[in-house]
Amino acid sequence: MTLSPSAFANETVIKPPRDWVLIGLWISLVVVAAIWIAPFVFIVFTSLKSTAQVTTTSAFAPPVDPQFVNYAKAWARGRFDITFVNSAIIAAIKVPLGLFISAMAAYALAKIPMRFGRLILVLILFGTMIPFQVMLAPIFTLVNGLGLIDTYPGVILPYLAFGIPYQVFILYGFFRGIPHELSEAARIDGASHFVTFRRVFLPVSLPVLAALFILDFVATWNEFAMALVLLQDREMWTLPLGLSAFQGQFSRDYGQLNAAIVMTVLPATIVYLIFQRYFVSGLTSGAVKG
Amino acid sequence: MAKRAILSDIRIQTWLLLGPALVIYVVFAVFPMLDVIWLSAFKWNGLDPVKEYVGATNYVDIFTKDPVFWVAFKNTVIWTILSVSIPPMVGLALALGLNQPIFGRNSLRAVYYLPVIIAPIAVATMWRWMYNPFFGLFGQIMTLLGLGAYVPDWLGSRDAALYSAFAAHVWQSVGFSMVLFLAGVQEVNKSLVEAARIDGAGRWGVFRYVTLPALRTTLTIVLVLAIISSLKAFDIVYGLTGGGPAQSTQMLALWAFTQSMQIFDFGRGSAISVVLLAVTLAVVIPYMRWNQKREEAAQ
Repeated sequence: MTLSPSAFANETVIKPPRDWVLIGLWISLVVVAAIWIAPFVFIVFTSLKSTAQVTTTSAFAPPVDPQFVNYAKAWARGRFDITFVNSAIIAAIKVPLGLFISAMAAYALAKIPMRFGRLILVLILFGTMIPFQVMLAPIFTLVNGLGLIDTYPGVILPYLAFGIPYQVFILYGFFRGIPHELSEAARIDGASHFVTFRRVFLPVSLPVLAALFILDFVATWNEFAMALVLLQDREMWTLPLGLSAFQGQFSRDYGQLNAAIVMTVLPATIVYLIFQRYFVSGLTSGAVKG
Repeated sequence: MAKRAILSDIRIQTWLLLGPALVIYVVFAVFPMLDVIWLSAFKWNGLDPVKEYVGATNYVDIFTKDPVFWVAFKNTVIWTILSVSIPPMVGLALALGLNQPIFGRNSLRAVYYLPVIIAPIAVATMWRWMYNPFFGLFGQIMTLLGLGAYVPDWLGSRDAALYSAFAAHVWQSVGFSMVLFLAGVQEVNKSLVEAARIDGAGRWGVFRYVTLPALRTTLTIVLVLAIISSLKAFDIVYGLTGGGPAQSTQMLALWAFTQSMQIFDFGRGSAISVVLLAVTLAVVIPYMRWNQKREEAAQ
């Protein structure tokens, strides 16, 4: 990890060639980054070792004879076929549907004057700050009362409800910023609010929608506490529930346990690595500028 | 008549657009928030058709007869204090460093942010393995350094377990603070920085008198978000220790869950949730007021 002058020169054309403070800073940032990434390396290494190799070789030793069979075994024993499909179905319905209804509501609040608009907006924005997960008991009672425990709607509906505030908040801010002329022109041409929303507002907000989509996908994919309460039947479990149970049952099969971890986190990691820049814009547009 | 038709038409349009989100939000988010207050006044196992009204008994019980509640309360306070100090400080330091024109800064930012997107329950599983006293990463590092005899039982010791769990939380959450601070740092007025430089301010001077004051808004947001996420801390503790050993890492959100869903005392569980909710509101309402004033000032 030595500093190569040629690579360094690429970015700092204007700066003086050797700024020792910056070089020291760079080295410390790289060292800390190496520490930050070490857990991943350790997990991947362990996931490819047999139990005998785990107990006899050093944690830092790369697997000599990679045991890919750990992945196949963990997949079967952890019933990843079921949990993976459940997680995928829930995310595939929840994420687009949630964004769509949030965008509609944000449009109505931002562009249609109405009597209690301000009040409704405050009520919804309030939700961005409330940790609804601390109220698992009443959520269970409600979903149970509707007979929806262990069903997809039973978990999707609360997920929708908890996603709405943040998404409305971001989209409301964005729609407010869209020039009046743009929507008025469409309205004068006789377009209804539905048409204006779909033809004018949805297309221009694609980048914001993309950012929210990615954030919400990861949040839905990772959600644990509510799923734990609302999905009790093994056949309905999502990936995080499956991983938690796997840890409880097979915590001594170190290789397989770590293979299960890798398989659980891989989809979100891939999504993140592909859509990195959307993550940052989606987060900061709401939290900092809002 | 025609005008009235249009008016009602717009109303219908408004409600069709606003309705779905509003109904789902009110039924599945606002209603449980009120219902939890109602449930906290009953003795109920969650399934029986009849609930027994007991008034404030559940609150009296959790405050006076439930020692675990106070352990959970104390742990939640410790967790909150650590959460508002350590991850934001590290995040700010990283943001300042990664705002400099240095080689590979985008990759470095990506590395620090990566743990944020991983499921907290998966982070717990990872760290539980790293804390394994025999083959885990930390034990092996200490052995390499010749400290093999001193490897603590990270998650099994009452004194260490809470802090071991918090370390996992730091690893996961630093990237989040960093990203918020980076956005804040990039908004700092560049001409002010230049002016300070020309006036002879060094790096520390620029940070102290230009950057830090400009970050006040970001700082408030980061701290409020840290408090809220501490109050709902659940997944990491559930996955790492389950509240043990001997309830020494119990947290309020987890204890509310345990009371309701495992001990089947919905009344007590709800009373704990109400306490958490009240603490949250004590932070959120002033924050929302402050935010509103800031917005009005900006307009």
